[in-house]
Amino acid sequence: MKKDRKDSVSCKAGLSESSAASSQTLSKRHGRREFLLKTGGILAAGAFGAVPLRGWAADPVNIGALYPTTGSMAQIGIGCVAAAKLAVDMINDAGGIRSLGGAKLNLIISDVQSDTTVTRTETDRLITGNKLSAIHGCFASALTLIASEVAERAKVPLLTGSSSDQLNKGRTHTFTPFARASQFAQAQLRMSRLVSDKPKVAVIFENTAFGTSTSNGLREQAAAEGVEIVLFEPYSAGFTDASPLINKVKSAGANALFSVSYLNDLILIVRTVKQVGLNIAINGGSGGFVIPDFYKNVGKLGEGLQGVAHWNHDMDANSEKVNAEYKKRTGEFLFEYAGGLVAQTFIIADALERAASPDPQKVRDAIAATDVSSGFAAMCPGGKVKFGPDGKNIHAHPVGVQWQNGDLASVYPEEDKRAPLLKT
Amino acid sequence: MWETIAQAVINGLLIGGIYALVSIGVTLIFGVVKIVNFAQGEFVMIGMYISFFLSSQFGIDPLVSLIVSMPVLFVIGVLVQHFLIRRVLGPNDMPQIFLTFALSLLLLNLALMLFSANYRTVHTSYSDEALHLGELYIPVAKLIAFVVAMALSGALWVFLHTTDLGKAMRAAAQNRDVATLMGINPNRVFCVALGIALALAGAAGSLLMPFYSAYPFVGQVFVLMAFVAVVLGTLGNVIGALVASLMMGVAESLGIQFVGADSGLIVVFAMLLLTLAFKPTGLGGGRAR
Repeated sequence: MKKDRKDSVSCKAGLSESSAASSQTLSKRHGRREFLLKTGGILAAGAFGAVPLRGWAADPVNIGALYPTTGSMAQIGIGCVAAAKLAVDMINDAGGIRSLGGAKLNLIISDVQSDTTVTRTETDRLITGNKLSAIHGCFASALTLIASEVAERAKVPLLTGSSSDQLNKGRTHTFTPFARASQFAQAQLRMSRLVSDKPKVAVIFENTAFGTSTSNGLREQAAAEGVEIVLFEPYSAGFTDASPLINKVKSAGANALFSVSYLNDLILIVRTVKQVGLNIAINGGSGGFVIPDFYKNVGKLGEGLQGVAHWNHDMDANSEKVNAEYKKRTGEFLFEYAGGLVAQTFIIADALERAASPDPQKVRDAIAATDVSSGFAAMCPGGKVKFGPDGKNIHAHPVGVQWQNGDLASVYPEEDKRAPLLKT
Repeated sequence: MWETIAQAVINGLLIGGIYALVSIGVTLIFGVVKIVNFAQGEFVMIGMYISFFLSSQFGIDPLVSLIVSMPVLFVIGVLVQHFLIRRVLGPNDMPQIFLTFALSLLLLNLALMLFSANYRTVHTSYSDEALHLGELYIPVAKLIAFVVAMALSGALWVFLHTTDLGKAMRAAAQNRDVATLMGINPNRVFCVALGIALALAGAAGSLLMPFYSAYPFVGQVFVLMAFVAVVLGTLGNVIGALVASLMMGVAESLGIQFVGADSGLIVVFAMLLLTLAFKPTGLGGGRAR
């Protein structure tokens, strides 16, 4: 695998050139592959380019964005970058940061290559090479944990939608506006009670860190939520055949299946359940399950499958507006992580407005004092953002979602419900 | 209880058929050309992408695309032998190992660049269908794959035992030097061997497509099982590789059912270690056939 250092793409969005053809200033050391991937992402974002910083009334404010746009997580990372650019365009088109004389946001994107080592060096390079006011990233918890360590040391505030509870421990510059992993487990268990009065849940999970930690969260909270776990089965990811595993689920007599899986395994599992003729409510959790690509792969079989998300595009009028714009640019609906990331950018803009300074420490303090309940910054389940001392949004909770007609509909909890839960 | 066991055996045999196509290719190349082809899995991946694109662009059923993927891979096999492997054949094994390993990495990363890491699936009318026999079920796509795999293996066996070229290949497999002395053109035989082996990999790819996702790393999943099957069934032994592949499929499936879902590979490798300890030449007997 290619592991060379990659240079950041600096993209500057403004009113005048946002619709113009792209003329990115790409750094010199670019491989062709990287070039293709980056230009792909940029085109998907609606093609806008960088121009020399001349003629602006106010100095632009630099916002760092750390996402994996190459490697195994590239698919989601590229969507995130498209959303990050959309958010910056929206803020700049609306007049930028008023308290800073209409300063525009300048998004500096860095590719963390789905790799923890690269994430460390890239975060370091992004912070030392640019005067940043804030950072958002990195989608995958494993990467965000590392990026946030680096950002903490450099005292640059970092916002993230990553769900690991670890991100709220001993950190002063890390802020999480959305639901935590422990809340996801609880929501998933409660959703199983919507399907059956006496849920008998089979939990199958891939046996590395991601699957193990998520499934342990489910097991710990099951009893308190009145859910019986009848099968708790680790498996090795990347299997060739899901039939033996589904055989076990069948023999366990479960009426609900929680699958903590990567996309490829999940596709096999869903197909095999259908072949076996097993009538069982499947909850695929979060991550790769709530992106458009999942439905593209399983098609009609995806109908009725449940999941949990920290953001969904049908939450309120604002999310629907952003979703429509994103759809226009990329052709896909705005998925969980990318949608949350638009809200994060507006939280940063709100903080900049109040701090009236691009200084990262002042921005950090302003973010910590955030208390919004309207506008794009409050675009999250519950519609309110206020950070506790651990950087956690005290109002945050996940939404339960269900695939209905090729789209994700919010079905749980009651106050966030936009469509009735289909019992399959 | 017996239904559970029978179902596990059915599942194992069906996936074992796919392992067989990959491992027969590896063992054929090893038997005839005496090199280990580390890139075999990547050729399965190419077969899958061929079927995927024929299906998504032209709506061709993956099983029909077999008639495209097999010849294409056959030609690639001949080219690989003629332009690459031929140049490193010699007393030293190292360049051969590096060559096929490099080929594997090259193809893998080319696929990453061209197709990205996304999973691609094909939907056919029979993808999600299954035959139900009482408590048991047999997925249609896998059944078709199994039957075609067995037919191709049978055809290869007939080819090796009845045609002059097939006999020449077996002769070269038994003793390359003597075969050369008998007037067999080794490069021609090697080209055909590579071609057939890669065509089988391509067939495996096309047969997998109705029920498995294509992605650049997909070959690695199957090639690991293939290597174990090749060693279990005696290096160079086609029938041995076939039987060993089916056994491994069943062992893996029973392991998942009765030991634990993360034990599939443990059972398979335990089987390999035991075989090597008690019958180091493999289950196929001491010599290549």
